[in-house]
Amino acid sequence: MKDFISRARGGLALLSAIVLLAVLPLLGLPRDWILYFFLFYIYLAMANMWNLLAGYSGLMSLCQPAFIGLAGYTLVIITWSGLSFYLGIICGAVMAAIFAVLISIPVFRLSGIYFAIGTLVIPEALRIVFFLWRPVGGKLQGGGAGYMIKGVGGVSMSQLYWFAFVLAAASVIIMRLILRSRLGLGLSSIRDNDRAAACCGIAVFKLKLYSFIISAFVTGLAGSVFYVYQQFIEPATAFNIKWTMIVILATVIGGMGIEEGPFVGTIIVVFLHFLLAKYAGVSLLIQGAILVIIMLIAPQGIMGYLRGTRAYRFVLRHATGNGLIKADIGN
Amino acid sequence: MSGLATPIIMGFLLGGLYALIALGLSLVFGVMKLINLAHGDLVLLSTYTAYVVMTKLGLDPLLSLVFSIPLLFVIGFVLQRYVLKRASLISMEAPLIITFGLSLVLQNLFQIIWSPMSRGLQASYATSSFGLFGASVPLVYLFDFVIALVVMLFLHLFLQHTYLGKAINAASQDRRAAQLMGIDTNHVYALAFAIALTTAAVAGVFLGLTFPFTPQSGVSFLIIAFGVIIIGGLGSMLGTFIGGIILGLAQTLGGHFFGAAAQMLVVYGIVLFVLAIRPKGIFGR
Repeated sequence: MKDFISRARGGLALLSAIVLLAVLPLLGLPRDWILYFFLFYIYLAMANMWNLLAGYSGLMSLCQPAFIGLAGYTLVIITWSGLSFYLGIICGAVMAAIFAVLISIPVFRLSGIYFAIGTLVIPEALRIVFFLWRPVGGKLQGGGAGYMIKGVGGVSMSQLYWFAFVLAAASVIIMRLILRSRLGLGLSSIRDNDRAAACCGIAVFKLKLYSFIISAFVTGLAGSVFYVYQQFIEPATAFNIKWTMIVILATVIGGMGIEEGPFVGTIIVVFLHFLLAKYAGVSLLIQGAILVIIMLIAPQGIMGYLRGTRAYRFVLRHATGNGLIKADIGN
Repeated sequence: MSGLATPIIMGFLLGGLYALIALGLSLVFGVMKLINLAHGDLVLLSTYTAYVVMTKLGLDPLLSLVFSIPLLFVIGFVLQRYVLKRASLISMEAPLIITFGLSLVLQNLFQIIWSPMSRGLQASYATSSFGLFGASVPLVYLFDFVIALVVMLFLHLFLQHTYLGKAINAASQDRRAAQLMGIDTNHVYALAFAIALTTAAVAGVFLGLTFPFTPQSGVSFLIIAFGVIIIGGLGSMLGTFIGGIILGLAQTLGGHFFGAAAQMLVVYGIVLFVLAIRPKGIFGR
């Protein structure tokens, strides 16, 4: 009974937090605040999907910008053909997923560090492709080979906020479902020892491919929603290593291979963006330095560190009743 | 066919430079089994050092090696001894993430100090060219090639004939056995990293003389270096050399047929293609 009450209390707290976040744009907050929340959701979805790859599937992917950029450019093509941007968002994600299948042919033959560098090549190559190729013809905007995204002028910030909110929530739910499914179990076993997993009858290639496709799809979705907000895309920023930096930083700060990791990490990353907004030049430099330091002093990230402390276990036990046992299994 | 002579000769000579960029990455990978994602940016650090020496002191860019070789030697030693040694104990991906962070730190540092503008190193010998088989080739490409051969020969002799070189070899083959033979592997690793970055320092100056560079160039240098290793296979200096020449030819011939803007695309395409058909490298064992 006591268990039930404390669980219900926990559930209620979560529910009210979700409701509060959902009605946030209606509360008349400054636009900047809404924007930071919007970025938080976008980055959270992307970081969750990187965590799925690096933390759970043993795939140190450095090609997330490829999914983001491709989704953005698909959005351009769809909106320039006069179709709705809703369709563009979906098509962008589908295109990212198809691309993931295509590049899995070369890069899935690689493992560990080879995989990391193999995937690093892809956004660099795509950037050149989109510098040379004019997918929709027409006039370019901005200094480089940029395109405006048509038909998104009427989208309000609150609408974008809700898109991103739903997306982030979906990414959290997807992670939860995957980790509690056979796919998640299979992935963890591959990450820990791929040969042993293969010997136990786990289809290593197939499972890795599934997680790669899911990751590409959701990352692409996040990318196209971001470009609906940005209303402008150009190759140098779309296929930029900065995206990789954001997802790695968020995941590593929070804790790689820990479900809550990206959530905690993304809060800190967005807060850093807020703090460093005035110093755009040094922002990435400081983030890079933080990444190095975190990796050295707390390689398991904040959540990993907290999990090891007594206070956290105490809180967990009282919040969920049998949290201690859960946390131990989680580790 | 005379039209093809220039890109072929240039690509061949350029291959030497690419092998030189890859040499440091290959040494670190071969000995410590780690990929230094900041390799390209460290090469670029030497290029920018040369740029400062050229513009601020008015000296020949080559003289900057007096500063950049010791600088990169110390950076390499400290990085391995105090950072990456710890990182490699944490997990397999920790060194990768740390060098990725370092790469971004360097990239943005360059951008803050020298602005995102494209720069170049100038020297009288960099602009003149010479004729060969009816092709006109910039003299600096020949320098690149000769220097690369000299550095590779030195490194080869060093690894084969000195105590430290043999110790590096031993530690890369079997760390525990080397330790039991009385080799301080931590120290040897740090020195190996330092030596690898020394070759990167040399590569950086010649790269700056050959191509214009921006703070973002480090990533393409890294991919070139990695591509050379992928094609040439690990642990073979000859393979590295051939890998360099293949990528050099790919770049210049790609530029010849598809235009200068697409030349790097051809290089990236070859790297991905080789990864797909033979991840261990064409000459890998």
